[in-house]
Amino acid sequence: MASAPRSELPAAVPPLTPARPVIWPPRVHKTLSNGLEVVLVESHTIPKFTGELFFRSGNAVAIAKAPGLADMTATVARTGTLKRSSREIEEDLRRMGSDLSSGAGADTSVISFAGLVEFSNGLLGLVSELAQQANFPEDEFERERRQLIEGLRIERTTPGFLASERLRRVLFGAHPYGTISPTEVQVTSYRVEQLKEFYQRYYRPGNALLVMVGDFSPQAMLAQIESAFGSWASGPVEEAPDPALPELPGRRVYLVHLPGSVQTQISVGNRAITRKHPDWLRLTLANSIYGGAFNSRLVMNIREEKGYTYSPHSGAHPMRQHGYFSIGAAVRNDVVAATLTEIFYEIDRMRSTPVGEEELDDARSYLTGVFSLGLATQDGLAGQLATSTLEKLPDDYLETYRERVLKLTSADVLDAAQKYFDSAHAQIVIVGDRAEIESQAAQFGKPEVYDAQGNRI
Amino acid sequence: MTQLNIPIESTTLPNGLRVVISPDRAAPVATLGVYYNIGFRIEPRGRSGFAHLFEHMMFQGSANAGKMVHIKLINSSGGVLNGSTHYDVTNYYESVPSNALERVLWLEADRMRALKVDDENLRNQRDVVKEEVRVNVLNQPYGGFPWLDLPPIAYRSWSNAHNFYGDFDDLDAATLDDVQNFFKTYYAPSNAVLLILGDADADEVIKLAERHFASIPSGPQPAPADIDEPPQIEERRALVEEKFGTLPGVAIGYQSPRRLTPEWHAAAMLDQALHGGRAGRVYRRLVLEQQIAVDAEGGIHYPVGDLFDYNGPTLMVTRLLHKPEYSVDQTIAAYDQIIAEMKEKGITAEELEPIKVKFRSNYFSMLEGGHGASIPRYGLMHLLACFSLFDNDPQLVNTILDGFMEVTPQAVQSVAQKLLTRHNRSIAIRQPAKKGAA
Repeated sequence: MASAPRSELPAAVPPLTPARPVIWPPRVHKTLSNGLEVVLVESHTIPKFTGELFFRSGNAVAIAKAPGLADMTATVARTGTLKRSSREIEEDLRRMGSDLSSGAGADTSVISFAGLVEFSNGLLGLVSELAQQANFPEDEFERERRQLIEGLRIERTTPGFLASERLRRVLFGAHPYGTISPTEVQVTSYRVEQLKEFYQRYYRPGNALLVMVGDFSPQAMLAQIESAFGSWASGPVEEAPDPALPELPGRRVYLVHLPGSVQTQISVGNRAITRKHPDWLRLTLANSIYGGAFNSRLVMNIREEKGYTYSPHSGAHPMRQHGYFSIGAAVRNDVVAATLTEIFYEIDRMRSTPVGEEELDDARSYLTGVFSLGLATQDGLAGQLATSTLEKLPDDYLETYRERVLKLTSADVLDAAQKYFDSAHAQIVIVGDRAEIESQAAQFGKPEVYDAQGNRI
Repeated sequence: MTQLNIPIESTTLPNGLRVVISPDRAAPVATLGVYYNIGFRIEPRGRSGFAHLFEHMMFQGSANAGKMVHIKLINSSGGVLNGSTHYDVTNYYESVPSNALERVLWLEADRMRALKVDDENLRNQRDVVKEEVRVNVLNQPYGGFPWLDLPPIAYRSWSNAHNFYGDFDDLDAATLDDVQNFFKTYYAPSNAVLLILGDADADEVIKLAERHFASIPSGPQPAPADIDEPPQIEERRALVEEKFGTLPGVAIGYQSPRRLTPEWHAAAMLDQALHGGRAGRVYRRLVLEQQIAVDAEGGIHYPVGDLFDYNGPTLMVTRLLHKPEYSVDQTIAAYDQIIAEMKEKGITAEELEPIKVKFRSNYFSMLEGGHGASIPRYGLMHLLACFSLFDNDPQLVNTILDGFMEVTPQAVQSVAQKLLTRHNRSIAIRQPAKKGAA
């Protein structure tokens, strides 16, 4: 894009030279006869490969049985199979120079792995075993349960966790997206049979996506995948429930009391959209101008001008059924009200005044450039392929991303801000010591106060 | 085993600036960095936290680019940027589409040439840094555990032992004169290395580096900080209050061998045997089998650095969070049992060989990433910088693995017997201020 004259910039700044095109490595996209969807891309940066085996079922689908069940299932699934004990699994991984982790979010469960290409056959064999023949040993389950409970107790002392938990509850209510973590009582009542049932039902090839990027030939890798996963029996696939979302009243303030806090975690949010929504790129661009980049308005204002905070940010968070927009900053206790005032000032500016050509141009360049950076590593490539395939975005979504961003206008940004930066209905969460911050919060509405365990006080 | 053959070109400009280039034209992006040989360990005595505060000031305006111009120019070129302060180096780096390469060089040269900042900038960044310390340390469960807890227990020299993030009194005392003097002392081209990785032609980049950096005047080499430590002769322990977290924490640090020595190679394999993830002995025994701890991690120069990015004394650290029904003494006793077995029985070739495979694999991953997916080749840049500044030999990146691959089981046992002694260790104990939450 041609740049408008930049009067405030020093004359000596070297111009950008002509950009080299981003060349997409060819990818193999194939569905095996049992329904397993496979995406493979070569990347020869290092003699390794990285992969992710996704199941399109996460904590949301089983929320009625128990929050967090998908995550616990994924955690225990790596601790034993019909053929290998927990210790053998860990030692085999090390022998193959490999890393493996497993977990689940709201919409997916995943086994992630990476290793030396010379051991790809062995590692695929192990991943296949974890996906098909995990045997959920009782003692491993009990140990992981206790670790999870201790982890939850520590999370309840972590300002960032408490802010996310309350914001999601406020935005999504009883919808599965309203719960980001189980309670201790819920974890205590997990039964290993529930894990096995989740595993039998959702760890199925027709519900799965395997993405691999690395130093291999896709055709040869496809043959290895066929041999490791080809005989896996398929099963029915089911969607997660999508109950009605709560009506959001106007702007509300929620205070989570964490005694002794020497700082306050602020989180402000609205419901927004998924990546499939036609407004998605508009929102992404508006977010980048508002608070999604170092060079954004919010960072300039509350960090670089006022020094209220170290790490202000905003983000659009797409999930499968819905999405949300949030703004976060950890600030010193005496500037909570002042920070909220600036957050809303910048929101209202985005909603009322069109973005100028230069700022727009800068933000478009930022988004397209960062996108290119994400293609230069195996992990980055795998992440982008996983997102576009999981969300069933158009085949050329990644190839056309840059040109679609470059076509966005100032009117697009204004439109997205007016729709999704909804200051009149913004939900405000602050986590800190009540005595230090409650009167400041009250300037924005009467706070509903909770303790760190989630109880109303 | 794959022999590494990463292309590396290097030269030194007349003003002493080292330039290291590693071209790879597969993707049209480049990562650039400038590393200065000053970090929080070796900052001037009595000015705790200054090296890090100063790092923030480097984004506040330079000779020809005012406040925010650096950030604006990089972001609007499609790039990302940051800086970070380590024990013995401070870095500034950018990843950009490669058509912005000369622009980045201009910006980095401009702030190596002169810093143009005022009192308002200093006040602003002092406030920002205090919030950084609060969000990372003072207002987080286990904040600073153990990277800020262990040094004052383990070390006697101010440099090694002080509060690296800075006491707020020291941060408040910093003046603009201090900022400019620090810049003059430590930010001369002869105390730095410029790194360019990715989509660039080596000859062209050297010409560009000369164009932008060669006229920056050289300066005297700063006097080295005193980082010598008297030999440790007894175990050292201290309690630190854990204000938020619910579990007791124990961190054990052993004085570690000097870099690039055969003992260091062996210690790295010992470290992997102990701390190599869920297969490592400490995690397996304490978390998976005995279930005394719920988390166990560790490493040499853990957790704020790695095997390569320090230039002086450091520790091999184990960090445990344990169940409240076990006492600290019981936890340490269980840990000591693992250490005693390692010293008495050593390690078999059957255990060591997989450790080497995993070490090699980890090394490759470090080269490519190390900073999420947003800074391609951050790890390679970091290694090249440390090998340049500490050892004057960036080519070590291609050969450093050899020494680790040659370690024998006997060498691991010997180094275990030498290092893992009580009088060579320090222990930080985090005690929760309140009982476990109901």
